[in-house]
Order: sequence, then C-alpha cells, then structure tokens
Amino acid sequence: TPRHATPSIPNRLLPTRQPANVLEEARIRLHVSAVPESLPCREQEFQDIYSFVESKILDGTGGSGTSVIFFFFFILLNDCTRSLQKLTGQKATADHAAALLEKRFSNPAPRKETTVLLVDELDLLWTRKQNVMYNLFDWPSRRHARLVVLAIANTMDLPERIMINRVASRLGLTRMSFQPYTFKQLQQIITSRLNKVKAFEEDALQLVSRKVAALSGDARRCLDICRRATEICEHSAADPSAAGLVAMSHVMEALNEMFSSAYITAIKCASLQEQLFLRAVIAEFRRLGLEEATFQQVLVQHQALCRVEGLQPIGVSESLAVCQRLGACRLLLLEPSRLGVLQRVRLNVSQDDVLYALKAD
Amino acid sequence: MAGLLEHSGYDEERLKRAAEQLPCREVQAGMLLSLMGEPHQYCYPSIFIYGHRASGKSHVINVLMKELELPHATLSCVECVSVALLFEQVLRSFFGCDVASLLPRSPSLTDFVRIYRQQSPARQTRYIVMEKAELLRDADANLLPALLRLQELVEDNVTVILLSEIVWDTFRPNTGCFEPLLLHFPDYSKVELQQILSQDRHPSYSAELYSFYVSILLGVFYSVCRDLRELRHLAALNFSKFCEPLAEGKVKETDTHKLWKNIEPHLKKAMQTVYLREVSSLQWEQMQQMEEETGALKGLSAHTHVELPFYSKFLLIAAYLASYNPARTDKRFFLKHHGKIKKTNFLKKNEKTTNHLLGPKPFPLDRLLAIFYSVVDGRVAPTASIFSQISSLVTLQLLAQVSHDDQLDSPKYKCAVSLEFICNISRTVNFDIMKYLYDFL
Repeated sequence: TPRHATPSIPNRLLPTRQPANVLEEARIRLHVSAVPESLPCREQEFQDIYSFVESKILDGTGGSGTSVIFFFFFILLNDCTRSLQKLTGQKATADHAAALLEKRFSNPAPRKETTVLLVDELDLLWTRKQNVMYNLFDWPSRRHARLVVLAIANTMDLPERIMINRVASRLGLTRMSFQPYTFKQLQQIITSRLNKVKAFEEDALQLVSRKVAALSGDARRCLDICRRATEICEHSAADPSAAGLVAMSHVMEALNEMFSSAYITAIKCASLQEQLFLRAVIAEFRRLGLEEATFQQVLVQHQALCRVEGLQPIGVSESLAVCQRLGACRLLLLEPSRLGVLQRVRLNVSQDDVLYALKAD
Repeated sequence: MAGLLEHSGYDEERLKRAAEQLPCREVQAGMLLSLMGEPHQYCYPSIFIYGHRASGKSHVINVLMKELELPHATLSCVECVSVALLFEQVLRSFFGCDVASLLPRSPSLTDFVRIYRQQSPARQTRYIVMEKAELLRDADANLLPALLRLQELVEDNVTVILLSEIVWDTFRPNTGCFEPLLLHFPDYSKVELQQILSQDRHPSYSAELYSFYVSILLGVFYSVCRDLRELRHLAALNFSKFCEPLAEGKVKETDTHKLWKNIEPHLKKAMQTVYLREVSSLQWEQMQQMEEETGALKGLSAHTHVELPFYSKFLLIAAYLASYNPARTDKRFFLKHHGKIKKTNFLKKNEKTTNHLLGPKPFPLDRLLAIFYSVVDGRVAPTASIFSQISSLVTLQLLAQVSHDDQLDSPKYKCAVSLEFICNISRTVNFDIMKYLYDFL
C-alpha cells in the first residue's frame, strides 16, 4: 500500500434504491444521520456560539487588512498525536507531539491562522495528573496562540467535579448549557424533518414527542421511535404500497417496544423452577429482613416451595444451575460461582416487579 | 468382561485391545464412544468429565485416543501457565510445528481462532483433552467460555474434553456459557479395586497368591485410602515382605493364615510410616532388605528439635504464653506482688482448655517483651540483637506477623509452634511452661 493513501471503503456495485412510497421517504428523512441544514429550536444557541467564535476570530486577525480570508481549522481532538497530524500533517509520538504543539502555541508568528478546536466527550480526557486538560485550556490563554477551544461534555458541573483548581480556573466563564427539548420543540423538529411529507397523523406525532419529552427529551430517541412506527405501519398493512398514515396504535406499539422493561417479560417467560427460585429468594429476604441471602439459605426455601407445589424436590446442582442462569440474565446479582453454595444472592430488580411478573399469569 | 466396547465406526481389533486395558470402566468408555460417534460425524462441542482422583478419567481418554488413533491434543492446564502455551500445544499437535510458529508472541484468542480456521478442515473429529481443567477458571475470563464452544468458533469438527476433580457447578462463569455434557466417573468399589490390583501379579508366584495378598492389603488400607495409585504403590512396596516366608521355605502357598499373620503387623506399621511419607519408599525398601526392625528409623516429623540461641528460646516461650494465655491473666502469672485476685473470678470454668483448640491469638510486641522480661531471670537490655532475633524468628516461621500494614508501629505477632515443640524448648532452659499456661492450670 502507498504510504500516504487516503483511507476508503469499497464502493457499492449498485446505487442505493430511491424511496418507493411515502413511508420510506419519511424513514430516510427521519434517519438520525440525516442532519438538516438549519437546526430548528436551537436558533438562540447557534447565534450565541456563532457570535462568540466570530468575535474571537476577528480579534485574532484584527489589523491585518479588511479582506482577510479566515483560515480556520476544525479539529476533533482525541489525543496530542492526532491533533498535531490534523494541524500540520506530521506524525510524531505523543510526547513529541505535545512538545511541538506547545511550541506552536507559545511562539509568536506573523501570519498564523486562527484555529478552532472542538473537543467532544471532554470527560474521557481525564487523567490523574490532568495535564491533557490543563494544556488544552492553557493554550488559548496564551497571547500568540490564536486558538479557540470549544469543549463539549455531558454534565454541567464537570469543571467543579473532576478538574483540579488550576485547570478549572483556565476554563473561563463562558459556559453554555443546552436544555433538553420540550415536547413542542420535539414536535417541531419532526415536522421540519418530514418537510411536508405526509406520513404521520398529527396525534401520533404529539404522542411521541410528549412521551419522549417526559422521559429524557432526547431527539435521537424521538426520531428512532418515529422510524420504528413507520416500519410497524408498513408491516401491519396488507399491501405495503398502500399502507396509509402512521396512526396512534402504531406509535403506541413502538413506544411499548422501546420503553417497556425486559426484566418483567424475562421473569414471565422463565421456566417453572426459575420462577420458584425467585419466589424462594423473596421468601428468604422476607424471613431475614435483609436484601441479601446465601444460596444455601435460599435452597432450603426453594425445596420447601417445591414440596408445596407438589414437585420433585430439587437437587443442589440443579438449583445452583437455575440460580446461575438467573444470574447470567442479570435478574440476580451473584458472587463468583466457585464459592459454591456459600455465594450470596441479591435481586437486580425490585421485589415488587418480581411479584407483579409472577402474579400476572 | 472384555469385548463390551462396540461401535460401528471403529476397527473391532482396536476396540478389543482398548477394552482389555480398561477394566471396570466399560460403561464409561462405552458412553464416551457413543458420544464420539463415527470418526467423520460431529461430536458434542464440549464434554466435562469429573470424578475423584485416580478414577481413571485420563486413562480412559488416553487409551481410547491412542488405540483408536484419533487426532488429539492432550494438555495439562498446570503446564500451560499462559494461554500462549496452550494455543501453541494445540496447534502443534494438530497441524505440526510450522503452524504453531505462526502464532504471534502474545497471542490472543482471536489469533488462535484465526490461525486454526486457516488450516484445512478436519476429516474426522479432533479432540482437545484438558487435564486439571479447574485451573482454567484462573485464566482469562473469556478462555473457558470460548473453549466450550470452540466447535462453533472455528467451524470445524473439534471437541474439547475437560477433566477435573471438581464439579461443574463451580466452573460456570457469571455471564453464562455453553453448557457442556457432564459425565461422571464414579469411584471404584472394593471388588473393582481388588480386580484391578490383582492384574499386576508377580510372574514367579501364582495369581491366587497375589489376589490373596491384595485382599489382605485392602482389608488393612481400604478404610483410609481408596486411591488406586496409592494402593498400587503400597502393594508393590510390601510384596517382597509378604513373600519372604515363601522364599525361605517356611510356609507353603496354601498356608494363608500364616502368611496373614506375618504380613498384617507389617502393613499396620506401613500405614503410620510410609503412607504418611514419614519414611520414604526407598528407605522402607532398604529397611526390609536389611531385616531391620521396621519403624526404628526416625521419621520426618520426629525431627522437631531446633537449635536456637538462649534469648530466642525465651522469646519463643514468651510468644507462646502471649498467644495462648488471655491478657487479663498476665498480672496473676507474671507479677510478683499482684495483690489478691480471687480464684473464682480468675478461673472462668467455661473458658477452660479452649485456647489450645481455638488456635493462637495475636498479641502486640509490647506484651511479648513484657512477658519476656519477666520470664528471663537477670537483666536483659533491649538491644538491637533482641529485636533482630524476633524478626529472624518470623523468618524461620516460628512466629507469624499478623498485621502487615506497619512494620515499626506496634506490630502484631502470632506464635506458630506446637505445644510439644515449646515443651522441648522450655526443658532445655529449665523453665516449667505448664505452670504458666492458663489452659493447664
């Protein structure tokens, strides 16, 4: 392979199919990766960031004439080596790259482009000495750096929680929080995505956005549910070409699929002895008044329950196998199996859930 | 009994030869054969065989593999200290050294599977036999689940056979795995042991005589030992003594009672000496040849006499007293004018003689030194040599340091010697330790 080859994947032999009906069209538009040109409901945030970056860039290059073309690089930072490669195309070891970057940002140079550095998932850059984070926020504060750093993290109070003082102080005060979408905004996002493609009933859209807004306000989740609902709609129709609109029932089904807990279904579908074992666990917890019991204590209850139910009393190995299968499904939390009958058993689901699932049949 | 093994896929002659080598294991061998199926058929992906020590697990597998000439890799998990060795052995015994050298230096499971899949597919089932499989639990967490479904991973006709003395229940990983087929090898009964042991008879004596000897041997040892290997070893060791009267011409072969009279006390003595490895087998044989009084030799455990410096002896005595006496009785034992202590509240009856059953208790360094100064007559300066003697007693494993966190600030010790040992030591320095022990008051 050539040394500076451009990475690529094999091209597909046939071109992608064009959408055949309305539902397919809607599905393509609703795909998470289909990012629109303008983001609805985030106009204010867009404006804030835009003016912030613009002011910094104009500052940095101010005085060098009116018709300056702004070169600015847009870097997604993973580590020092990668960012150096992005900036200059050099390859170096991590330490060497850090030194080179240090030199670049601290020395004055007459015609240096402003660099905008976008750091995603900031919390993953945490190390014990925090020198990566420190450098990252120290460089833009240098006089000659001409660097704008935009960092993205999931928690608002990340600087206070994990950063040591000298890092947190360099972060500055320009902090911005993105609120989760309300249901109206979610509805607006979907309608703008669909863009006059008539695939959904109004009520169905409202139901999706209200449900999602109540739980997390995650736009991706909202789009996923809508796409799943179109699929359900297509499958339920007798003739796929004339499926009609996505109705409330389809959306309800999709919501149930994505939000219902799998634990209860798993308990309902468990075998008889597994259900008996769960009942024995709860009985033993009630007797002890604790949320933890050893396997041999549960075994006594399990065998008693078998007798009450009129089944053959279960052997130790079989009961242990039942217990470990439940542990492998994460319905129970178990210690390593080499402890044998002395391993402690805890429930991974609430007792009420177990009782509800066992009673429902 | 031989000739029970029957399977359509294999040569009759070979099966017969294998059956001759597997006395009392026909059922298990037959079960294994039917699981294996014909050579080109797919076998179950993994078989887990468990049974006590010397119940013929490896023997049955080895004989079947060798006699039927099946492609197999036998490896012991004790030897495979790293997975690299394990993979290398498997590849080498299946495909030869060239393929094994393809493995990178520290291979992962993926490397192994990749290289395996590059090789030509098997025309008949390949077997990987892993002995002492309980050690696989200490290896990487993904190794055991991967081995259990190796057939699926490498897409080849391969079967993993795990041999262990431990039941499967304690193997199962917490994340679940493919369940192997469990096969139990039960213990040999007394009759079966007799049958197997009678097979290796001495050529110069009749078979009846040897089987009579084996029945005497089992009569003595069966209650304490059912391990075939151990019994076979004992049988070989003591047979010459059993034959002695015959060789000298004192008794005839038919005179069983006299033979029994001759050998039985000898075997009883063997149980106390050679079975516990007090006397090595070589020494035992020499003793028999020299016609010495057997057991006159001092065993390994009789050498409990250790030469120690004077103060070390007292330090050890003090440590023993500190370990086995409760701290509240120190005042009564070691202070000259301790005032009046009523005997009734001093001796709590229910506490008596329990300390020696419960084992030694930890004590701090100051208490050891305090008891040491009151036990030793004459003034002893707390020099560096006293403290270095304490730490060398720890190195000699006569004391044990309990708390490892701080070496300097009041370390805690335990005394790790027996009562007999400390009595011997206190006798050499004329110290009556029994008078000072709370348990023997």
